[in-house]
Amino acid sequence: MELYTIIFYVFAVITLGAAAIVVFSRNIVRAAFALLFAFFGVAGIYVFLLADFIAVTQLLIYVGGITVLVLFGVMLTNRQVSVDIKTGTMQTLPAVILTSALAGTLIGIFWSTDWRVTAQPLASETTASALGELLLGPYVLPFEVASMVLMVALVGAAMVARREKKPS
Amino acid sequence: MMLTSILESIATFVPETVLVATFCVTLVSGLIARRKPAVPAALAFVGMLVTLWAVLQQAGTDRTIFSGLLAVDPFAVFFKGIVTVTTLFILLFSYFSTEVQTSVRRLAEYYALITAMALGMFLMAGANNMLMMVLGMELTSLSSYILAGFTKEASDSSEASLKYIIYGALSSGLMLYGISILFGLTGTLGFADLNHAIANAVPNYFALLVATILIIAGFGYKISAVPFHFWTPDVYEGAPVTITAFLSVASKAAGFAMLMRFFKVVFIDTSVLALPAGMWASLYGFEWNKLLAVLSVLTMTLGNLVAVWQNNLKRLLAYSSIAHAGYMLMGIVVLSDKGLAAVLLYFIVYLFMNLGAFYVVMLVADRTGSEDIDSYKGLGYRAPLLGVAMAIFLVSLTGLPPTAGFIGKLYLFAALLDARWIWLAIVGAINSVISLYYYARVFRNMFLRDPEGQATPVSIGRAQTVLLLVLLVPTLLFGLYFSPLVDLANASLVMVGVR
Repeated sequence: MELYTIIFYVFAVITLGAAAIVVFSRNIVRAAFALLFAFFGVAGIYVFLLADFIAVTQLLIYVGGITVLVLFGVMLTNRQVSVDIKTGTMQTLPAVILTSALAGTLIGIFWSTDWRVTAQPLASETTASALGELLLGPYVLPFEVASMVLMVALVGAAMVARREKKPS
Repeated sequence: MMLTSILESIATFVPETVLVATFCVTLVSGLIARRKPAVPAALAFVGMLVTLWAVLQQAGTDRTIFSGLLAVDPFAVFFKGIVTVTTLFILLFSYFSTEVQTSVRRLAEYYALITAMALGMFLMAGANNMLMMVLGMELTSLSSYILAGFTKEASDSSEASLKYIIYGALSSGLMLYGISILFGLTGTLGFADLNHAIANAVPNYFALLVATILIIAGFGYKISAVPFHFWTPDVYEGAPVTITAFLSVASKAAGFAMLMRFFKVVFIDTSVLALPAGMWASLYGFEWNKLLAVLSVLTMTLGNLVAVWQNNLKRLLAYSSIAHAGYMLMGIVVLSDKGLAAVLLYFIVYLFMNLGAFYVVMLVADRTGSEDIDSYKGLGYRAPLLGVAMAIFLVSLTGLPPTAGFIGKLYLFAALLDARWIWLAIVGAINSVISLYYYARVFRNMFLRDPEGQATPVSIGRAQTVLLLVLLVPTLLFGLYFSPLVDLANASLVMVGVR
């Protein structure tokens, strides 16, 4: 086995293992820390896809920013740190049937389909400048709309979180 | 080169630009005029009027802008018009709604988010690329999650908001997964390019089918089609009535616009010519329309059958709106221009009758404090105008003459019979009969039952009466004089990239 393949599997195992801990852990702090490793593993896979800019963004924003924010959020609402969140499972049988059917279908598709692959070599060694030109050229509209989506999320979060004065 | 094309695109992007400006101005005005909730309301209303003007200016345009990402064609303009008119009505409803006006400190955000939601729906109506589709949907959904939980003092409002987010996250996840499969098959996200890619090389049929089903999950969630409807009753009941009415008309219209454009542009087979005028064929006989037919039958049947048991009027109208999504899906199943025109026509009619019904529910709830069907006992005598108006809206929702709802249903069924989808037409007709039963329960309470105990008259102000008449008159008028609507619907079928 090539070194390349081995490293890929290492990252895959990190991602999946950490994701499993996020889902199954009953302790929210542990889940938040596991999320950090899941994001890190995904960043590694981006590197394998030669998406250097996305990989760095993933590290900076998800691993560095979002996970830390999640941890802060968890710790500041400290009443919940010691409390086990309700993680009961209901409707196990239908859920198992549905998810395994879906998983089976998707795995089947991934094995059987001829995915469209391009033989073109990459235009340049780094993708950042090409991405920048695309984002401010043909894709300027999605770029701007995304800022609007974030703005709405921000306003909404402030609105939901703001303390109301008790009506006197 | 790129710059000139972008500048040119911006010139055809006026309505959306006005909406963004309205959003910002409304938001900031709330910070300046803290104690005057009328200021943001007025700004939002003026902004929407300007938007309406800008949308009307676009009539007749038929092109794509921003490198083909967004279509500005009669089809998109039609749905933008529907969304704008609905938004104007909702702003007026909000102004009269006690439920909304009690949260003075958050009103500016409320109005701003309504304009943001309208922007999201504009993008959905024009999306000619799956990227724009997803972004428009996310913008609409995010705003509506927050607005559904607007009256956060009420626990059912917060519950509605949370349920909405969870279902929304799941279905947009499914949809994105479907889109990723489609991208893997074709290597493109643009609708027209997808059509070429699928037409030129037969993809893995099974993968295409699964991708389509996953994408339908996203659409189904937006138009609340069964089995993606679970959020609808709880959200409609928990959200403020104004937002419920907004979701039931505008959000559904945008979802339908996206669905129709996606299926028509991506799967149309332009090489098949031996068809009657106004019909089209699907690529490789890929029968996505059969999927939608199943969805349509499930949606209307479940919506109508469950509505029979509802005692909360908002919940009843929620199930009725699910059923209406089912009726409208029938128009898409037939793969004909006539079917699509019927759906467009239905939306004009649906706008007035459904907003009207929700408006009456809002007025009654503000005065009696109850949305329960029992609180409508004797309403016909306590508030004759409200009672009669509600009766007319409900008759129209059932689809009986001489109301506009009849015309909507008539054209839908005519399109079905034209395309020989007899069994679906029969199912639709049976469903209309079932729906009469639960609408009739409301009539019976309003006119044939005496009020229990408190026979207090329910009175409404002059402005509220005018607004009620603005909704009521078209509901009756369009039942008798509808040829301009039919012409409008037929003229609005033009989609960019499809001849």
